[in-house]
Amino acid sequence: MVSAPPLLSCEGVAKRFPNGTVALRGVDMTIRAGRVHGLLGANGAGKSTLIKILSGAHSASGGQLVWRGEPVRWRRPIDAKRAGVATIQQHVPLVPTLSVLENILLDTGGWRRHRHDERQRVAGMVDRIGVGLDLDASVGDLAIGERQMVAIVQALASGADLVVMDEPTASLAAPERETVYRIVRQLAREEGKAVLFVSHFLDEIVALTDEVTVLRDGRAALHAETASLDEAGLAAAIVGKAVVQLARDRRREVTGPEVVAITRLSSPGRLAPTDLSLRAGEVVGLAGMLGSGRSELLHAIFGADPDAGGSVRLHGRLVGRSPEEAVRAGVALVPEDRVAQGYLPQMPLWQNVTLPQLATHSRWGLIPCPADERGRAAEAVDRLAIRTPDVDALVPELSGGNAQKVTIAKWLVPGTRLLLLDEPTAGIDVGARTDILRLIRALADDGLPVIVASSDYDELLAICDRVVVLRDGAVVAERAAGDLDEPMLVLLTGSAPVPTPPIQPTRPLP
Amino acid sequence: MKPSFNWRDAFGLREAGVYYALLLLLGVLAMAAAAAGRPGYLSAVNLSNIVYQASLVGIMGVAMTVMLITGAFDLSVASVAALAAAVLVGLAGSIGFVPAALAALATAAAVGLANGLVVQLVGINAFIVTLGSLTAVRGLVLILTDGRSLMVSDPGVLAEMLAFESSRVAPFWPALLLALILIVAGIAKRHPAAIGGVVLGGLALAAGRDFTVAAPVLYLLAFTALVWFVLGYTVIGRRLYAVGGNAEAARLSGINVHAYKIGAFLLSSLAAGFAGILFACRLGAINPTALQGSELTVIAAAILGGTSLFGGAGSVVKTVVGALLLFTLTNGFNVLNLGANYQGVVEGLVVIVAAAIYTVGGRRRARPRPVDPEPSGRADAAPVALGGAAL
Repeated sequence: MVSAPPLLSCEGVAKRFPNGTVALRGVDMTIRAGRVHGLLGANGAGKSTLIKILSGAHSASGGQLVWRGEPVRWRRPIDAKRAGVATIQQHVPLVPTLSVLENILLDTGGWRRHRHDERQRVAGMVDRIGVGLDLDASVGDLAIGERQMVAIVQALASGADLVVMDEPTASLAAPERETVYRIVRQLAREEGKAVLFVSHFLDEIVALTDEVTVLRDGRAALHAETASLDEAGLAAAIVGKAVVQLARDRRREVTGPEVVAITRLSSPGRLAPTDLSLRAGEVVGLAGMLGSGRSELLHAIFGADPDAGGSVRLHGRLVGRSPEEAVRAGVALVPEDRVAQGYLPQMPLWQNVTLPQLATHSRWGLIPCPADERGRAAEAVDRLAIRTPDVDALVPELSGGNAQKVTIAKWLVPGTRLLLLDEPTAGIDVGARTDILRLIRALADDGLPVIVASSDYDELLAICDRVVVLRDGAVVAERAAGDLDEPMLVLLTGSAPVPTPPIQPTRPLP
Repeated sequence: MKPSFNWRDAFGLREAGVYYALLLLLGVLAMAAAAAGRPGYLSAVNLSNIVYQASLVGIMGVAMTVMLITGAFDLSVASVAALAAAVLVGLAGSIGFVPAALAALATAAAVGLANGLVVQLVGINAFIVTLGSLTAVRGLVLILTDGRSLMVSDPGVLAEMLAFESSRVAPFWPALLLALILIVAGIAKRHPAAIGGVVLGGLALAAGRDFTVAAPVLYLLAFTALVWFVLGYTVIGRRLYAVGGNAEAARLSGINVHAYKIGAFLLSSLAAGFAGILFACRLGAINPTALQGSELTVIAAAILGGTSLFGGAGSVVKTVVGALLLFTLTNGFNVLNLGANYQGVVEGLVVIVAAAIYTVGGRRRARPRPVDPEPSGRADAAPVALGGAAL
């Protein structure tokens, strides 16, 4: 296979932005037809820039792209698309009001809207890769996993030879990921396409790809056949040093007093009546697929769900049923989608950090005291190792992991007595992930009860004392984390039978 | 940590453009007036006249800015102002000026509350709701006035109303004092308020001790100062910006988003009601089409001031300057006798050019500062359109 002629070669591709920022310092990479090529790297290593260059959104400021043996220079996305490169962005840009079919054919020419032959072609393609997509469904009604499928079919329909997938599984639950894996393998093996697969998940890179390139600081730090690698080696290449494992003491007993009592908390159509109690210093994980009720449970606890019934008691006292009252009582929620729910794009970091407790940073509870707020923000930047030029930076200017740390920093005050985190490590790099997981453990060790929802079962098993499994809005199992392993969790959440080849559950948590 | 103030940004076209535009326009008009043989364009009387003419739109514009900051929109202000004026004129003869004015304000507040409740609790877009109330409230005015002009006939009440609107105040000493405070505080805090102080002091000295301004100018200044302080220096202000910047994030930070958004509707209608009262007092009468179309002038003033239509950004001082810019244009057309035919074209173009400057300038501002070696690590970058920095 290695002898197949390269479809695309990057030869010393560099990118320097007009403002002087150097994103890529010369990347060499060769992508061959029929192979799945993994691209890894921490946030800020240059992955996104490289993808943008491959897709024509940026042009390289140095080096050369060679496409089917010819040097090329793509100035616009359409150039790359015409040449045969389809890029599936992380946040899938589909038109929610159009049907699946119309989205798939969005970039095809012609002037007629409903063409029978096109429909046949797409239907055939959908059948061939074996995804059950209703071509006439409106994209706005689809689950996020199905949208990912639409994007993949869209890429295929454009007749691309190279499909670039930017973290396609970041927001998917286990069974949906399996579907993506299956399609990726099919694309490479049966359709003879080249796939560039970008991911933060080491296990899927190891299980799925044929060869791997690791970027670090704008250079290709490692290039190897996947078969010759293991996850520890990959993680080391990403961070540039040996990864410290997040050790977990499986025999840890939580013996603190019961401080959180949730009784018959429910929300019509979203959450069946749920009881849950937490001891001081206990970390409880919520496992389940997308739509299983994890986020719904957290929002109901936080009072953010106006339809929710039932009660939440914190240290014996009833928590009011609105976010204002919950915050006053010391409940904190780090929401799932940090862009839409987590931070304010127009406010500087320091104002974002102090927003929930602004009154305590104010004279007479009315006039905010900026010096005090900045001090608090500077402490948070130090404590969480947030990479930012200063506390005046706007949060969207930070990388995903650092933006996520800001949304957590909002709640790091003594007044926080219950911390709820919804997918706190989705789409962020290994380093930030480790920082955040360590922080959660440290907070719990100081006696804070924590509830974490995550699609990453490894992560749950590593930091939780107990795991609650949800399915269809109801709790279906509750186990001590020490009695669980990842395959058991996968079974409990009700996912599909074990995939082939199985994703190894042995990934050490970096 | 020291509060940092970015002077380069503060004097850039994006941040200070509306001030430059006003100065440029005044300069051009002064030269044109001088060339046309009409001296005294820049006289204190003419300038204070412009402010007086802009005061109603300015007051509504300040409240509209708060509205836009929270991410909503109010098209009904001019109709509400007319309704308040009709209530005042209709009732003043029988119950006296002050009770009638309070009734007018209460009527306006009721409309604002209704707008806010429908928008927030039913969840209909503010544009649609206030488009509806624009028409419906104008209909109420027609019913109240029976389609004819109403007048206040009681001479005593009429005198009270005139006194409320047209009494003149000599602002020399207060203006000088305020200028001094602004200069001292501005220099101490390294804040451009010092420049405002210098301008104000200079104007006061140039106008002299005998110069007087009409009461609405003072109402405008007081209201602007109050809202400016609340927005810039209080918890309420920060939360208003937060609610407009990202309502869901604000809600999940424990802010009562409904209360702030409905409050903005209330404020907008109250300000419109007050403007309506001033309008009625100015004429002692109201006709059913009064103020028709001024809601668009109000919104234009806010846009000229750089307020984002998407919420989360805006400054009331710049909105007032935006209103002054629009009325300077009108005034210039009158003084130069250019004919009203060209006025619409010019005003419209000015608004579009201003918006273009803000959008282009905003894009430049949104460019990343080097944090990581790779700027595209900012996977979360949200578009910041038409608006950026808070006051």
